[in-house]
Amino acid sequence: MNAVAASDLPASPDRALAEQVLAGDEGAFRQLYRRHTPRLLQLALRLLGGAEADAEDVVQDTWIKAVEKLDTFRWESAFGTWLHAIALNVSREALRKRGRRQETAFPEQMEPSAPAPFERVEVMDLERAIAQLPDGYRTVLVLHDVEGFTHEEIAEQMGVAAGTTKSQLFWARRAVRAQLAPVKGG
Amino acid sequence: MNGSDELTPGEKRAFEALPKERAARAELETQVVAALERRGLLPIPLGTAAGRRRHVTPWLVGAVAAALALFVGGFAAGQYFGARSGAAAVLSGVQASGASAAQVAAHAERAGTMYVAALVALNQLTDSADAPTRARAKQAALTALGAAAEEVAHLAPNDPLAAAVLRGLNERSREQGPAPSSRSVVWF
Repeated sequence: MNAVAASDLPASPDRALAEQVLAGDEGAFRQLYRRHTPRLLQLALRLLGGAEADAEDVVQDTWIKAVEKLDTFRWESAFGTWLHAIALNVSREALRKRGRRQETAFPEQMEPSAPAPFERVEVMDLERAIAQLPDGYRTVLVLHDVEGFTHEEIAEQMGVAAGTTKSQLFWARRAVRAQLAPVKGG
Repeated sequence: MNGSDELTPGEKRAFEALPKERAARAELETQVVAALERRGLLPIPLGTAAGRRRHVTPWLVGAVAAALALFVGGFAAGQYFGARSGAAAVLSGVQASGASAAQVAAHAERAGTMYVAALVALNQLTDSADAPTRARAKQAALTALGAAAEEVAHLAPNDPLAAAVLRGLNERSREQGPAPSSRSVVWF
């Protein structure tokens, strides 16, 4: 795969590059893009359950929205955090269009007994278990357990109560554990 | 929520071990830049077809329409400029080949695009092009604009845009005095 690695890029403050982008500097945009896209793409890919083409669409739409709003960004947070929030919104919109939101039905399908925690698991198996979660649960689990956001931050970004994200995380972790539990009697 | 909601150390390690970045295809960067250019969020670089469209000066925009209209108008435009043989050759070639209207239009578009592209290239060589060369190119564009407006006026006598162009060119011609006895512009 012909890929661009973020580590190959020279260091330059995001704000200086952003100002150059606002002045129409394509080279500055490419630097910003290469710096932040690997993280955006991984986030989108995980939020969308591994759909590569959809994740690329999310990355593209995220950059379009970011450049459109760049002159309104007040630099009170990190540029990457701001991009992250845009990517989250774009991903959720993509999920809505895809019509795969099932969070209200999911808990009823869960078995009542709590599955045991997993201890040793392959990355691919964990990724697969996350991908198979309903969209809403997957979003909360990715943001909390993988990206490290607090419930308050997630709730604010998603426009829901923190109690909602806590509940979703509870069910999401249960579902992941259930998927990763060894098959009994085999 | 019960105690099993909390991650065990092993589970935390498993989540932390997940990759946080993924290398993007190089083509995605090209797509994103192109998408930004299409929306006017980044300037289109000179030298690309889209860049030429964006950076043409107003008189070259007029030349685009003029060149296309001149070809569509064909024979009559040739009469106007005293270049009857050239236009007739194009027309007879088209007739002999049995080309359809769509093919003629495509031919006009290709030729007009090449013509305008040449003017754009000249326009971008501001520093190196001498004044007579630039004046000749400008005259070519203006003359084409007039010819196109004439053709449009023949096709649609009440077209206000064609009338305005002709009026403007006539006023310009009166202000600048009589035209030179021999034209230095070679037509198509």
